[in-house]
Amino acid sequence: MNLFLSAFFSGTARGAIYAIVALGLVLVWRGAGIINFAQMGQAMFTTYIASTLIISGKSYWLAFVIALIAGAMLGALIDILVMRPLSRVHRAEALNSPAMKAAIPVIASLGILGLLQALAGMFWAGQERGFPAPVAIEGLIVAGRKMPFTAFDIFTIAIVALVLVLTSLFFRKTGTGLAMRASALNQEVAKLSGIRTTQVRVLSWMISGATSSLAGLLITPTSNLSPTTLDLVLIIGFTAAVVGGLDSLPGAVIGGFIVGYVISFVNFYGTPEDIFLAILLLLLIVLLVRPSGVMGTKQVRRV
Amino acid sequence: MTLEISHLTTQFGSVTAVDDISFTAKASEITTVIGANGAGKSTLLRTISGLEKPTSGSIKWSGNELIGLKPEAIVRLGVAHVPEGHAVISELTVAENIAMGGLFRRRKNRADLDSASKEVYELFPRLEERHKQLAGTLSGGERQMLAIARALVARPQLLLLDEPSLGLAPLVVEQIIATVNDLCRKTGLSVLLVEQNAITALGVADQGVLLSLGKVVADRPAKELRADATLRAAYLGY
Repeated sequence: MNLFLSAFFSGTARGAIYAIVALGLVLVWRGAGIINFAQMGQAMFTTYIASTLIISGKSYWLAFVIALIAGAMLGALIDILVMRPLSRVHRAEALNSPAMKAAIPVIASLGILGLLQALAGMFWAGQERGFPAPVAIEGLIVAGRKMPFTAFDIFTIAIVALVLVLTSLFFRKTGTGLAMRASALNQEVAKLSGIRTTQVRVLSWMISGATSSLAGLLITPTSNLSPTTLDLVLIIGFTAAVVGGLDSLPGAVIGGFIVGYVISFVNFYGTPEDIFLAILLLLLIVLLVRPSGVMGTKQVRRV
Repeated sequence: MTLEISHLTTQFGSVTAVDDISFTAKASEITTVIGANGAGKSTLLRTISGLEKPTSGSIKWSGNELIGLKPEAIVRLGVAHVPEGHAVISELTVAENIAMGGLFRRRKNRADLDSASKEVYELFPRLEERHKQLAGTLSGGERQMLAIARALVARPQLLLLDEPSLGLAPLVVEQIIATVNDLCRKTGLSVLLVEQNAITALGVADQGVLLSLGKVVADRPAKELRADATLRAAYLGY
């Protein structure tokens, strides 16, 4: 029973992190039509910034906030400096084909990932270092009994829950949230309604950048921080996004938790080596049984 | 507030969809642009609202040159476009679609925006009954009403309507056209109505512009166009 509870709580905390990784991917996918392979590179970079601040004696919370702001700014920069100019290149006929239009931003995002990893290697010598947690990462002891969860698990779940509630309120209750949903669903009607879609796109990149930074801050205390540690997280987060349907924000969150539980239960009941096999199986099952994902919209054409 | 179009040409590669078109849509009147499929009617409207870039020419709206402005900027000048095919966002609710049309005015004039949304619900009571439903669940006629309502909450002075009758039952078409006609007569809204259904369009319009293969064939009072048997037989087929 204790093993089950441990797996469950660990799965919930892991799932919460994958949920926001998937959320970040889905935001940029819906907002800009790009699968952003640089996302966890951005998170790695901002986590290094936070780590440097903490090492230089600044408080954890100051570093935490600065990392989130840096994440949002990095996201905005990628859109403004790289993705937006790329979408305006029309020089050659070959670049205008739909296949190239879809491939160019993907290649660019891989390039940005490489650049961020190289820069991190230069600035921080690429050394693997630990990253602190604000609370204990060992099993919590309440009234002399060891609990199946850690204080950091609780912290992670609480902060992700807060982020998810705020994001959901933002999208459903505010004008800017409505503008973002409208632009993602139908650019033309959004523009004709007076929505400045270019600004809305930057905002998608910023929110995605900030949530991925948060994911970086929450993962690294239990793993380590190096320029490449978060690469696997991107793959797991992407699986979560596809499980959820890729174009649905609630789907991304549900997908994140499903993947979190699968990983955690395989880890506790099987061996860590089987984790990626399990993820691959999950992805295959979802793609075969429900290709549009748990919450994804089916492509229905109205006649 | 008139719309003056002069020598407007819009090309897609080697195809000239709008070919050196000139005409004026007068304030507080309904100007209809009629013609067969492929005459360039939709491209004309899409060029006015900034969705397509013209090759040459000029579009003057109450003294402002619209060419070179983005659609987002053109709406802010009071020109609202309801594109072809009941353009609403199916995944949003009726209320959200309407709210979307007024988003850009939400900081400047909140009170007027609220009364504008109330007015469009009064204009189309069916939308009020269904305001919580997803737009995708509405009937074709209701979706067209919603598309027009979305444009009207922006409080435009000029409404660009693209084929509102497309795919709708005659009774629904009549109702929608009557509502638009009422708006024009009562509030002084100018309307540029693109229609393939010439009988209906000429029935309410003040001025009629007949297009064929991207060129203006006739630009005359709607009454005259209706009476001209030669033009009717040659271009409209009735």
